[in-house]
Amino acid sequence: MAHPQIAAFARLANGGQAPLRTVYGQGSKLSRTMHDIRYDEMHDEFFVVNPFAEAILTFRGGTSGQESPIRIIQGPHVKIGGNRLDVDPIHDEIFVPDGRRIRVYPRTANGDVAPIRIIEGPDTLLTRAESLSVDPINNILVVGFNKGEQDRENGALLIFNRTDSGNVKPRAIIRGPKSGIIRINQMAVYPPKKLIVATMPGLVDQMEPPDAFLGIWTYDDNGDVPPKWKIPIGSKTTLRKPFGVVLNPKNKEVILSDMRLNSVLTFAVPEIF
Amino acid sequence: MNKTLRLVLAGLLVWLAYGILMQAQADRKPVVIERAPLRFIKDPNPSFSAVAVDSESNMLVVSDENMFRIMEYDRRENTPPQARLSEPKRIISGTNTKAEMICGVYIDPKTKEIYALNGDTQNWMPVFSTDARGNVAPNRALNIPGHPFQLAADEDQQLLYMTIQSDNQISVYRKQASGGEKPVRTIRGNDTRLEDPHGLALDLKNRLIFVSNFGNGNVRGTGGRYGTFAPPSITIYPMEGSGNIKPVHIIQGPKTLMNWPAHMAFHQERQELFVANDADNSILVFHASDEGDVAPIRVVKGPKTGIKSPPGIALDSKLGELYVANMGTPSITVFPVTANGDVAPSRTIRGGPAGTVGLMIGNPGAVGYDTKREQILVPN
Repeated sequence: MAHPQIAAFARLANGGQAPLRTVYGQGSKLSRTMHDIRYDEMHDEFFVVNPFAEAILTFRGGTSGQESPIRIIQGPHVKIGGNRLDVDPIHDEIFVPDGRRIRVYPRTANGDVAPIRIIEGPDTLLTRAESLSVDPINNILVVGFNKGEQDRENGALLIFNRTDSGNVKPRAIIRGPKSGIIRINQMAVYPPKKLIVATMPGLVDQMEPPDAFLGIWTYDDNGDVPPKWKIPIGSKTTLRKPFGVVLNPKNKEVILSDMRLNSVLTFAVPEIF
Repeated sequence: MNKTLRLVLAGLLVWLAYGILMQAQADRKPVVIERAPLRFIKDPNPSFSAVAVDSESNMLVVSDENMFRIMEYDRRENTPPQARLSEPKRIISGTNTKAEMICGVYIDPKTKEIYALNGDTQNWMPVFSTDARGNVAPNRALNIPGHPFQLAADEDQQLLYMTIQSDNQISVYRKQASGGEKPVRTIRGNDTRLEDPHGLALDLKNRLIFVSNFGNGNVRGTGGRYGTFAPPSITIYPMEGSGNIKPVHIIQGPKTLMNWPAHMAFHQERQELFVANDADNSILVFHASDEGDVAPIRVVKGPKTGIKSPPGIALDSKLGELYVANMGTPSITVFPVTANGDVAPSRTIRGGPAGTVGLMIGNPGAVGYDTKREQILVPN
């Protein structure tokens, strides 16, 4: 994308309605390829990764214009690697996936701060970990695998304990043809119902993959398990390549971003909440 | 029943229950939710990110990152104020084109082929002939790993130069390269001071490469790699440079007014460097020999200019015109190369209604929700 930005739209925005505010410019320290964003209601902050400067940026909730982040985690000890993250506001931790490992940082860290723990090692089975979501209530960490053009294996969802560290085995792995998972992009969890909500945009090099969908699994799923619920691409949903997902439980809505449409779609899905 | 038998039976029951649960999971049929979205945020207009001009053929080629299109206009087009938009002469778009997030375009001065650089999502630079339109396969395509941003050509040497953002690199390819052909040389390494390179322009007389950098850097050392932030800059290298070379000089500092310097264009006769200054809604002009913390010699900026979030720029040196691609509003604005200050464009080619605000959503890899303000957060 030629112009990096974070745009904030009203929940009820529709059509070509302009954003209420945008964050951009040199002062913001943003870059392109911000493939995750997490809002922390408890502390009224939001978080993104700048993968080009290998930095975790924390902004105050109402940030607008060319305002700078309030905290930056960056430096030789940081080694973030990935471009996605999630935040646990209760235990004050930031989780960042990086292929073969998951690094965990203090939420309030600023500057050149080493991770406080790392999930890493052959027993973890981590190979293409590029997205995750943390549940601080049920103490669950769900990790999504990507699939590059050269990868033989399809993606997967791996379930760990939130406090896992070192060379630990995952509690469960959802993978296989019935799961429909080729690769996982952004994810969300819904602690009250123990749900995993993940976008499955299909193969990277396919502009309009025939099998993309939003899938909803449970924490108890293990093995080659189809999703419990599925929002498919197609003419009815208008989805073509779902990339991002976030839940709005208050209004029983699932909000999706679609790469091929360059758009944001909100679905009423009361049955999952 | 003895204790051992009870334990065996209990284990068997647990095993059976687990087996039934696993089978039930594997056999379950997903509930398919097929319904229309309640709301659908979508920019109905193009988002112009790059522009190229050829006055000999009156070709004006622009890329639209919103609807993944390459569009050709007549360069003399000037959308009347009462018109909704100007229709392009042709559009190249679709899943056969290998063109998606196009952030750089180039017109071959002899063949009039269009070179289109995917900045994201597709690792290809497709090349299209003059009769290509619609959902057509390119004549040829070069695989380019990473995230390129702008390309420029040395026609005498038949070489293409391009910036690669993700590797902090300049890659030089044979102009006719295709498939998996590797670059003939690269400029890359800690000494280069390449920090999220974006724009690239060539001074063919003095054999120099100008590169604009956003300042998102990283340092490679024995302990691994780590990120840095630096002020934006323009770094200058010899055109025949290769490897981990130092820039011959650097333009950098607060007087330069750079704020996300994007595409650049070089005017050979005037020895001037034009910079699309994205986050400042301006065009900056520097002398070729400028270095250090210098003020631009001219700045095109202000409400009369119509310039808004401009990543793209092109020069027509023969006719003395400057073309600006605006993402913040769906337009190409045209100025004389001598324009300075808050001046109205000599022509405006609109892809949407006048005054429209561009949403600039591009490859939205994620979405967030601000529960306090009830706002949807969309990063590019």
